[in-house]
Amino acid sequence: MNQLSNTTTSLLLVDDHPMVQGGLSACLSFYEDIDIVGFATDGQDALDKALTLKPDVILMDISMPNINGIDATEIIIEQVENTKILIFSMHNNPEFVKSAIQAGASGYILKDTTSEEVYYAIKAIASGKTHFSSSIAKVLIENPNVARDSEKLTTREQVILSYIAQGNSSKEVAKILNISYRTVEAHRRNMKTKLDIHTLAELIHYAVNHGMVEK
Amino acid sequence: MITINIEKFMILPVRLFIIAGLQVLLTAVITYFFVSNEYRDLSQQSLETLENFLIEQKKQEIKNYTSLAVSAVEHIYLPSTPDNHVAKALVTNVLDNMLYNGDDGYFFIYDNKGNSIAHPKEPFRIGENWWNLEDEKGNKIIQILISNAQKGGDYFRYPWSRPSNKQQSEKMGYSMYLKEWDWMIGTGVYLDDVNLQLSKLQFEIDEHINKTKKIILAIALSSIFIIFTFGLVVNLRQKKQTDEKISELGQKIVNVQDEENRLIARDLHDGIIQILVSIKYSLEATSMFLSKSKQDKPEPLNHAETNLTIAIQEIRRISHHMHPQILDELGLSAAIDALSSDFFKRTGIIIHFEKPSVRKLLPDFINTTLYRIVQESLINTEKHAKAENVYIKLKFDRRWLILTIADDGKGFDIESKVEVSDGGIGLRNLAERVEYHLGEFSIKSSDKGTIISAKIPKSSFVNYFNKKTIEDNHESIK
Repeated sequence: MNQLSNTTTSLLLVDDHPMVQGGLSACLSFYEDIDIVGFATDGQDALDKALTLKPDVILMDISMPNINGIDATEIIIEQVENTKILIFSMHNNPEFVKSAIQAGASGYILKDTTSEEVYYAIKAIASGKTHFSSSIAKVLIENPNVARDSEKLTTREQVILSYIAQGNSSKEVAKILNISYRTVEAHRRNMKTKLDIHTLAELIHYAVNHGMVEK
Repeated sequence: MITINIEKFMILPVRLFIIAGLQVLLTAVITYFFVSNEYRDLSQQSLETLENFLIEQKKQEIKNYTSLAVSAVEHIYLPSTPDNHVAKALVTNVLDNMLYNGDDGYFFIYDNKGNSIAHPKEPFRIGENWWNLEDEKGNKIIQILISNAQKGGDYFRYPWSRPSNKQQSEKMGYSMYLKEWDWMIGTGVYLDDVNLQLSKLQFEIDEHINKTKKIILAIALSSIFIIFTFGLVVNLRQKKQTDEKISELGQKIVNVQDEENRLIARDLHDGIIQILVSIKYSLEATSMFLSKSKQDKPEPLNHAETNLTIAIQEIRRISHHMHPQILDELGLSAAIDALSSDFFKRTGIIIHFEKPSVRKLLPDFINTTLYRIVQESLINTEKHAKAENVYIKLKFDRRWLILTIADDGKGFDIESKVEVSDGGIGLRNLAERVEYHLGEFSIKSSDKGTIISAKIPKSSFVNYFNKKTIEDNHESIK
């Protein structure tokens, strides 16, 4: 029936609104090659479920309590291998798309799209492609500077920077955030590149100068 | 309600001080009249006393002079009979030479028929009869003087020419009688001396009254002045305090409104829209169910889907207008980016935005304030500046987070535009909000463009990101 992926795709639905989950799963239940393996209602819940369920695709809302969808995306990408994330949001603003791409999302669709597009997007992402709603694609074309914005730190990077600036070593940060030492080191490298900074002292100074931590 | 109360509160001291001032003025006026009346009465009394005293003194004086004159000629008069012409000539001669008080004191002699016998200052009278001489009131002067003398001596006031200045003035005369010779001997003093003295005194008293009046007035006026100055100072200070309170209250209201807008926008976006979206998917599920069971999709279902999409878009627009959720989710830089691209699409004015590489450093209230400043500045630029470029800069220095919005337009009249721009919240309001957050706000406008700048002290948000991170982390550990 489709040329994207013939295997069944496992899906984690993340939305803080049970009615949306209900409506969407009712639609998706008509497609036999999609298996909804779980539901989560906020970013933290999504991370926990992603770690245990290891779904192929996560359909991720943005506006949620605790950790929002974009920040959750970044953490999940960092911690769960082989899981693709499709942002599913009401926000059609290029800044959201930008941030979602930066966080590592593979696609971005709007909630007021058709269930058919939702299905195709899930299948496209599961097969390693990217997918953006047609209105989002239009936004990306209209705002060519979206890709150029990658010099900005991500929320995750700032969290790590904040811990480092408070005097924690990479090992300690890894322990606090329950991630690997290598991941922390990778984030540190990325930050130094983005900020054009070469020493730890400069990194700490940057954090203090921007009011992220107290002196 | 609040405004009215505050106005009453502000007017009260002014009223109080006007009443106090009026009281002082009234007291001053009453004291003024009372004191000057008292003074006048007192001076009248003392002047009368003084006049009586002086007159009495004069009377005594002329009586003594007359007695003295009579005594001086007694040794001639007493032994001589009335027909002794030699004795009479002697007496006349003695009295003619008896002068006092310069030219004005002299003695005159008339016989009982009114014939003048001696008159050293008016010799033309000698030998003539003055029996019928009258003053303007019709008093027969000589007759009265003679009759007074015959009664044993008495006083009489009449007008007479004063020798020293030839002026008609009031004279008080005293006369005694030489019975054997039927002669009347008299003298007199001119009373204009007394009057002069009295009027001099009157003048001095009047002077004194005037001086007192002036002192009273000066004291009253300076009291009023002091009260008013004091009142003004108190009032101004109170007004300043009230203004500060109003401004603070205004900011609180604005903050509450912002927070309320934020919550309603969030409710609309995360509540109502999500419900509508779920209905939309339920409708889609229904149509998929119909197509699976080979049934046609009814037209009303299509309508419902279309209308639902419109409703979702509409609510999203309203929600965004009330509070752009991007501020909460992605932070200020992203929100300004979004605002910039919308602005460019609408106006064609290019926005150059320089931003830091970090995000989500600011608490909601600062985020909202700075976002509104950008929004309001762009409204101004669009309406008044005819600009081609806008340069927005968000940067940090040692103490401040500095937001500047500069355009290359023709500038605008700051005074007329800082109030409330049409549909906006007004730059003045925003300035107050910045100051409420302990920041600084400035606008500079010239024909080369407008620069609006807002500074927020780093102390207002330092550690906010860190704290929030830890809180989130705690949340996740729970």
